[in-house]
Amino acid sequence: MSSHLDLRDVSVSFNGFKALNSLNMSVCKGELRCLIGPNGAGKTTALDIICGKVKPSAGIVSFDGTALQDLEEYEIARAGVGRKFQVPSVFRELSVSDNLEVARARRTSVFGNLRWSIGNAGRDDIERLAELVGLTEQLDRPAAYLSHGQTQWLEIGMLVAQDAELILMDEPTAGMTAQETRKTAELFARLKGKHTLIVVEHDMGFVKAIGDIISVMHMGQMLAEGTAAEVEAHPEVRRAYLGSGGISHA
Amino acid sequence: MDQLIEQIVTGLSIGSILLLVALGLSIIYGSMGIINLAHGEFVMLGAYAAWVFHTYLGLGLLASLVPIFLVVAAFGWVIERYVLSLLNNRPLDTILATWGVGIMLQQAVRLMVGSELRYVQLPPALADSMDVFGIPISSYRVFLFVVSIALFGATWLLMNRTTVGMKLRAIIQDRSVAASFGINAKRVYALTFAYGAGLAGLAGALVSPLKSVSPDMGTGYVVDAFMVVVLGGVQSLAGTVASAFILGELSGGIAFLQNDTVAKTIVLLAIVVLIRFRPEGLFTARVRA
Amino acid sequence: MPSNISNSSGLQRLIAQLAPLLIVSALVFALPVLLNNDFLLNKVARYLVLGILTISLGLSWGFGGILNLGQAMSFGLGSYAMAMALKLKTVPVHTGASGLPDFMVWNNVQHLPWFWEPFRSLSFAIAAGLLVPALVAAGLGWFMFRGRVTGVYVSIITLATMVVINLVIIDQQSYTGGFNGITDLAQLELFGVAFDAYGRATYYLVAGCVLLSLLIAFAFTKSRAGLIVQAIRDHESRVRYFGYDVALYQIFVFALSAAIAGLAGMLYTVVMEFASPTFLGVQLSLSVVVWCAVGGRQSLVGAFLGAVLVAGMQGALSESAAFLETWTLVMGALFVLVVLFLPKGLAGLAQATCRWVAQRRQAASGAVGRGVSQTEGST
Ligand SMILES: Nc1ncnc2c1ncn2[C@@H]1O[C@H](COP(=O)(O)OP(=O)(O)O)[C@@H](O)[C@H]1O
Ligand SMILES: [Mg+2]
Repeated sequence: MSSHLDLRDVSVSFNGFKALNSLNMSVCKGELRCLIGPNGAGKTTALDIICGKVKPSAGIVSFDGTALQDLEEYEIARAGVGRKFQVPSVFRELSVSDNLEVARARRTSVFGNLRWSIGNAGRDDIERLAELVGLTEQLDRPAAYLSHGQTQWLEIGMLVAQDAELILMDEPTAGMTAQETRKTAELFARLKGKHTLIVVEHDMGFVKAIGDIISVMHMGQMLAEGTAAEVEAHPEVRRAYLGSGGISHA
Repeated sequence: MDQLIEQIVTGLSIGSILLLVALGLSIIYGSMGIINLAHGEFVMLGAYAAWVFHTYLGLGLLASLVPIFLVVAAFGWVIERYVLSLLNNRPLDTILATWGVGIMLQQAVRLMVGSELRYVQLPPALADSMDVFGIPISSYRVFLFVVSIALFGATWLLMNRTTVGMKLRAIIQDRSVAASFGINAKRVYALTFAYGAGLAGLAGALVSPLKSVSPDMGTGYVVDAFMVVVLGGVQSLAGTVASAFILGELSGGIAFLQNDTVAKTIVLLAIVVLIRFRPEGLFTARVRA
Repeated sequence: MPSNISNSSGLQRLIAQLAPLLIVSALVFALPVLLNNDFLLNKVARYLVLGILTISLGLSWGFGGILNLGQAMSFGLGSYAMAMALKLKTVPVHTGASGLPDFMVWNNVQHLPWFWEPFRSLSFAIAAGLLVPALVAAGLGWFMFRGRVTGVYVSIITLATMVVINLVIIDQQSYTGGFNGITDLAQLELFGVAFDAYGRATYYLVAGCVLLSLLIAFAFTKSRAGLIVQAIRDHESRVRYFGYDVALYQIFVFALSAAIAGLAGMLYTVVMEFASPTFLGVQLSLSVVVWCAVGGRQSLVGAFLGAVLVAGMQGALSESAAFLETWTLVMGALFVLVVLFLPKGLAGLAQATCRWVAQRRQAASGAVGRGVSQTEGST
């Protein structure tokens, strides 16, 4: 497998504070990469860089040979990058089915979208998606009425609907019950291969269940990469997590 | 040379009035994120209060300043408490609500005292003129300049050296964290709004001897004040001062050079361009969102 | 789009949503049967036109989240386009051989300015009445939305732009009629029908445009593009990460809204028989916001009715100056109350009531059902 996404010496600073300090990372096509690290390590910022929310002050982000760092957010999305945010971000006044419909961004131009939003194929697609994330009963309700866990599910469903090649998930299981977390792990296992995934997680059990290779970030840099066992044995990783009671409690 | 100095002094005088009017708006906008469209009406209320105190109670302007501040501040407090505090997290709606309140205040005054122009007397002690750098200028304008700087200083101290100011800054940073430290955000907001309104009232009272007093006098002031705040940058008191005096000097210049339509057009277009290209104002450092 | 059975619930919902729109339009068309008074009909036509203007604001504000405080700018541009064409139709009847509109003669203008020339053609004027507002809005939208100006700042820029255009129109008296506007117009004639401001034909023209505007706006809100615009209103930045160029959608809805406002402006000139700078004044522009908020910004029919009812009531009271003063106070209070407690306006109130009634009914029938099953269980 060739390198699909490449971050080379990416740096970002906020008012002089280096949130990312010459970060390097590469991910292969079809891989499910877990990204862990203590709070404030820069995981969210790394995803922000990839999806264009934050522009790097130095470094290159290349995806399938395209340099992403100079593109607008919508251009990056069109290039095949989808993003789930740490704070679940859905359209609260729209119904669940409309949320999914917006995410099914097959066409993106204004004039291409001047047509009825109730196609048959589309409706089937949305019902299938709703079933996948367990929101069939909620299809016609505004997203504002969903519980926190359901909102997380909706956003995950929206990413599946978007069908992006590279999917970035920022703490997707936060606020979910153990059972829901397990279901998420199953879903991710199914997406793997067809999509490339980068998942930021704190729950080591979850990480071990889904991840092949784990990347550990600390203070804006890549600290270690490897399997769960390798990473847990890594002395610098242990030091980074010291005080927060070890890696599995992070 | 003389003409230049005269120009500069006139600009400073206009600038001090702008600062007076903008200070309250700046506090409210900067700390609560509310564009208070009723600000002009608070100015108008202050001016009418000065007129009422003088006409019905025989009180001089200087003696009425403190009661005027308190009366208009009380208005502000009530409006924050019973209107704006219900509109958390709906910034567009706060604009609409303050505008509606402004219409009501304007109309209520019109119904009660009529729409004819009213005049407020200069304080006799300040009715003469004095020499500034060899230029004769009315003592009252010098007084306004001093008062505007003093009010700015007081406001700065209030924000930076008192517990209420500290609490307010904590709330601006993060409301929920501040709340968890036991800061009563509602009360602090109400006090802030009342203070801003009180300042507007003072501004209205202070300018009332220079301009005629009418129910719709506020409309012009709110535009000017808004311009000052936008130029100076939200959350920057020092920026407000700088922009007030810059605008004072500029409008002193423009007024002599051009006709009214051109001057107004320039001001409006400047607002538009500024918002588009530097929404954070001219005098604030650019920070990442 | 063809529909099959699996989709019929969607179709049913569509019809249910279309129903209020059709009922209101039917009432508008039926009114002349009940109201046999040309003077009153002209007044009603005026309120209907303001209703169209308010629909246009509902589209950009309620659906797009763009609070355009300068909506009257598009309205005014439309009304001037129509007035310019109708003014030229009076030449040379009113002003003799010079071939110039009367106010230009008074202002010593020698030749018809170049931008007046094409308005000799009525078709051009009508196209301009729609396209000029749309293009101005698109340009302004491009300026704002490409720079990611949002929320309150959009309101300020639109308001300031409108005031500038208003100032220019008043200032350029010799080309625009200045403060007095453009008066003494010819009657509009289309396809051989003369539209006298007090005639039935004009009323039906306005009614037809009400229906047309409602349908166009409705179709847009039900399109995918309309859905995306609503998503932008809810969470602008999120939409970008699905690959949509947010600014283009905002520009589109902004321009569409301006075109509808332009249509309303043209009709207003026909109904009022003049064009005036007050048509793009702050007063009117802010009134439209009040009507839209009171009627319900997220409901096209609500916005329309809000304008017709409130403007109508104001018109009825304006006979007496004292009343009008009190009315402004009452209006201000009503507006504040609506903003505070009815963010979806009267339309939202009506919807909530319908839902409440439906729930009550369901609860009642549910209780009956349970009662039956209980008796069954006990036997
Ligand atoms: N917009 C911002 N402005 C200032 N500092 C920021 C901003 N975003 C993130 N940071 C800082 O950058 C660091 C990395 O943050 P983040 O990427 O969110 O960490 P993580 O997701 O790993 O917990 C933190 O110290 C955070 O405070
Ligand atoms: Mg994070």
